[in-house]
Amino acid sequence: MAFQSRNKFCFFKENGISEIDYKDVKLLRRFVNDQGKIMPRRVTGTSAKMHRKLVRAIKRSRSIALMPYVERGTD
Amino acid sequence: MSFYETLYIVDPNLENNSLEKTMNEIGKELEKTKSKIINHRIWAKKRLAYSIERHKYGSYILLQFEGGDQQKMVEYDTWMRLNNSVLRHMTVLLNDKPEIYVEEKKPESESEEQILKESSDKEQLSDPVDTSDPEHKENESDDEKTTELKEAE
Repeated sequence: MAFQSRNKFCFFKENGISEIDYKDVKLLRRFVNDQGKIMPRRVTGTSAKMHRKLVRAIKRSRSIALMPYVERGTD
Repeated sequence: MSFYETLYIVDPNLENNSLEKTMNEIGKELEKTKSKIINHRIWAKKRLAYSIERHKYGSYILLQFEGGDQQKMVEYDTWMRLNNSVLRHMTVLLNDKPEIYVEEKKPESESEEQILKESSDKEQLSDPVDTSDPEHKENESDDEKTTELKEAE
């Protein structure tokens, strides 16, 4: 019981999101860690299809300075 | 025709006049490509995730348009890169036709909300969705990238 794992689910499938907008930083922030790295699928439970879209959106928003490439502790 | 969206950053310290001037310039440059501008508006003033040319803040301006001449679009892209007032820009292929942006007003009462809803319903009716070759669009959406500007349809 102590080691029972949580059920993972795809956030996007659960919420009926089919397209990810790179401008939606609030949403994308959920899928990066505090260093600004994209979290792996095995952690977030995102479906493969949506993960590909997610990665594209995050990389886009990085290139237009909406999200950081690297996040340091203090600015 | 495909739809595109350019998001670009300009210096936030610009006065309104010079901001409008740059926006007009960019609009004119884009019209050279025979594209139809759908939306051209200030999206937000934001803190940049990392500093660009020592700027910490930037005004993001969103420009949505229906694509014109593909070769001219490459020229437009280069022009944007050389434009000193634009800190950074990015053009992205859109899946669907973008909606015409109307400035949001805070509804004071319910009746106003209803009016707004009704008017939006009417707009939807008068503007039927483009259903021509949806398969083609799906294919495009799979590998959309900024570099696809160069690709001829």
